[in-house]
Amino acid sequence: MPSSAACKRPENLVEGLSSKDPGTRLKALRDLKNQIIGNRTKKLRYVKLGAVPLVSEMLESGSESVVLVQAIATLGSFGCGLDAGVEAIVKSGALPYLFSTLANPDEKVVEAGARSLRMIFQSKLTPKYNILEDKEMDFLFSLLNSENETVTELAASIIMHSCETTEEQKALCGSGVLDKLALLLEGSSNQRDASLDSLASVVKNNREVVSKFVGLHNGKVLSSVNGLTKDRSPRTRLLACSLLIALGRACPSQLQDIESKADLVRILVELVEEPGRAGDEAPRALGDLIEKSEEVQKLACSVNAVEKLCKFLHKGSIQAKPLAGILHALAELCSNLEDNRRLFLSLQGLPLVAEMLNHESVGVRIAACICIRNISRSVKNLSDGLTDKSIVIPLIHLFDDPSIEVQVAALGATSNILVHFTTHKSIVFECGGVKQLVKLSSSMVSELRVNAVSALRNLMFQADKMCKENIMLELTISTLASLICDPEPFVQEHALVLLRNLVNGNVDCINYVFAEDGLIINAVTRQVWNASSVGICIQGIYVLANIAAGDEFHKEEVMRILFPLPEDGRNQSILIKFLQDSSSPKLRVATLWCIINLSHLDSPGAVDRIARIRGAGITCAIKIMVNDPCLDPKVLGPSLGAIGDNWPK
Amino acid sequence: MNFCTLGRYRGGLSLKLGRSGSNSGLDLVVLPLQDTFNYIAATSIMSTSKKVITREDWEKKLNDAKIRKEDMNKLVMNFLVTEGYVEAAEKFRMESGTEPDIDLTTITDRMAVKKAVQCGNVEDAIEKVNDLNPEILDTNPQLFFHLQQQRLIELIRNGKVEEALEFAQEELAPRGEENQSFLEELERTVALLAFEDVSNCPVGELLDISQRLKTASEVNAAILTSQSHEKDPKLPSLLKMLIWAQNQLDEKATFPRIKNFSTAALEDPSI
Repeated sequence: MPSSAACKRPENLVEGLSSKDPGTRLKALRDLKNQIIGNRTKKLRYVKLGAVPLVSEMLESGSESVVLVQAIATLGSFGCGLDAGVEAIVKSGALPYLFSTLANPDEKVVEAGARSLRMIFQSKLTPKYNILEDKEMDFLFSLLNSENETVTELAASIIMHSCETTEEQKALCGSGVLDKLALLLEGSSNQRDASLDSLASVVKNNREVVSKFVGLHNGKVLSSVNGLTKDRSPRTRLLACSLLIALGRACPSQLQDIESKADLVRILVELVEEPGRAGDEAPRALGDLIEKSEEVQKLACSVNAVEKLCKFLHKGSIQAKPLAGILHALAELCSNLEDNRRLFLSLQGLPLVAEMLNHESVGVRIAACICIRNISRSVKNLSDGLTDKSIVIPLIHLFDDPSIEVQVAALGATSNILVHFTTHKSIVFECGGVKQLVKLSSSMVSELRVNAVSALRNLMFQADKMCKENIMLELTISTLASLICDPEPFVQEHALVLLRNLVNGNVDCINYVFAEDGLIINAVTRQVWNASSVGICIQGIYVLANIAAGDEFHKEEVMRILFPLPEDGRNQSILIKFLQDSSSPKLRVATLWCIINLSHLDSPGAVDRIARIRGAGITCAIKIMVNDPCLDPKVLGPSLGAIGDNWPK
Repeated sequence: MNFCTLGRYRGGLSLKLGRSGSNSGLDLVVLPLQDTFNYIAATSIMSTSKKVITREDWEKKLNDAKIRKEDMNKLVMNFLVTEGYVEAAEKFRMESGTEPDIDLTTITDRMAVKKAVQCGNVEDAIEKVNDLNPEILDTNPQLFFHLQQQRLIELIRNGKVEEALEFAQEELAPRGEENQSFLEELERTVALLAFEDVSNCPVGELLDISQRLKTASEVNAAILTSQSHEKDPKLPSLLKMLIWAQNQLDEKATFPRIKNFSTAALEDPSI
């Protein structure tokens, strides 16, 4: 037993690795191996002390099998679950030597080599194996054909690790990898799991490979995968489900039948409760399965998925990866169905998710944000604490997060929540949220700009005058004008809605539009006349409609934009064009509102404006709209009625 | 183990064992029972009382279910191998010609590990597992923690207080930081040090021999899984299924049950 204190000191042990005496060296190596296996802290410590290159050297110098096996196992352990370890191994140049051990005449060395390489190939930091090169591909197939089970598992792991592009998938498929992997499905349970795992990466998002796989041996392979979803081993059930989900995602017709979807949902929900890797990874697979499909979300609901996941969250002490998976699945469950959201809130899920906003793992923080975003899609649940400080403040803190992805997700969630804030908008100011949003709205990352402007837009929604003024104080007129002309169309659209909310219902606020030499109104004019999408056009017209609800000056300015003088060189019939736009009923309604506000009889210039509008041939276009099948009569009725009342016959 | 008893087992379960697609699948096809259910379901509509199946009818049905001797032998071999009775397995192999689905020498290694834990030589057990397959403890944090916890328990048992504290700090505390439930278990274990009379303290059961057995069986299961072998023998779950099936049938019919599983004798239905 190596229990004397001196022997256990890491520095001494590392020294022992370079001892001249082979006996001392081997003993140090064995001790090192036994100390680091299962112990992340120690692995890290020994990596820092430079143990990895010393162990790698032992592979190079043609050592005897006993030493080789220990050295290989030690390297494998350094590479297991520790990025720094993998980096050190790659840097030490040990990978080629490890591969060469697979040709060693001693079966024990081969076994150890295959195990260690397999662990190293689990890490994302391990360089990709070059599948596209003929020589490498041949070697990979020699591994797949090996008599040694562990070596075949290694081959499957390499495929899973290195097959990413369509080209690589095609190359592997062309070399007959599907047949080989199908053969492994018949092997031991470890081979079967490795095969399922790598099949998922070979078929991923590749319709062509999927159809090949499905047709393999007249569909027998597919049905054996189906059978494996009911295997006794939880891990196998999970991997078989994941493969079927990957097939369905690449080629939706493969996973059409509701029965098989229901089966998958049921199996995955049950797996969530399994201890170990199967349980850890099941929520993520469940989330992938129910993503964007209301039908499957309903199925999940019928097997109490929300209850089970919430129960799990309440248990606490969940590791980061499964936790992110659970939040991801819950977010998907709450993305469309109001019943699920209500259920989630009634199970007190929200405070738990709010806590996760401060989690140390990036993945968990992102998933928590997305979860809150999806729950706050519901209008009915507003009062249930969504506008609570305990959610808003941590979200705003995340605007500063080191990860851009977290920032984007936090902005998305905040944006949704802000719509519901009617009375507590001041919270956002108090904790510096507006300043942050404005800063992010000029970010170089377009996703951040889109979400930041969208959040500001929602903050502006139905805000009181003081709140609007405070926002503009931070945002400034010039920034808003440049956002309206942002290169990203979504930013343009959100910026126009922000402006529409700003000028809605308050004459004083309309003045912002004309301040600083009309920076903003000029930007709006450009967008209305040259918009790249209908959505932008609609919002531009609504901005004008809201301005037209202002005073006499405002109305005349809108007239000037919509009915330019011939010398401006603009097409006179833009309103007619919009009224006759067959692609978008919304644009037609927006245009009607604009006309209604311009021709409101309470203002002195109305008669003159009506005459000009009529002169442009608008009446005819409006009359045609009475029979417009796309327009909602509830909207159209009052609109046309208003025009009828206001316009002198 | 009484092989004779097994030989006489003729229940209504038709067994299909062994490598069928996957080597771990115990594919239980409950066909004859299902037929019986259907048959009873069809007749019970007429009468409210339970259908009675006479011993004669039942035995006839049982005789119709053909079970291959080889399958039964595989079942026995599976039990011996999984439980680690290496000598019995060797003997059974020679007598029955049944090939074990695992290399018998690996059983010896596995049993050596199990025995080391059972005797309290945990460090020795850990080294043995690592020689067998370093992946086992590197990919099973829970098992690794339980082994280290057992090591701590043994140190405390032997009164090595200082060494125990150092070990807890050095080896176990970092695991507790990684996992909340480990931390709770660690706290429970260290609590052993707080009591003078450990045999009478609230966490005293940690010192019980059953704790060693629990840890030993966890290691045993992990080694089996790493060898692509199922961690539990098939036989006990088969017996459980037999009991379940009898209870199911009991709700619908009166039939000759097996009550004594060591003799597998059919008991006449009481009418």
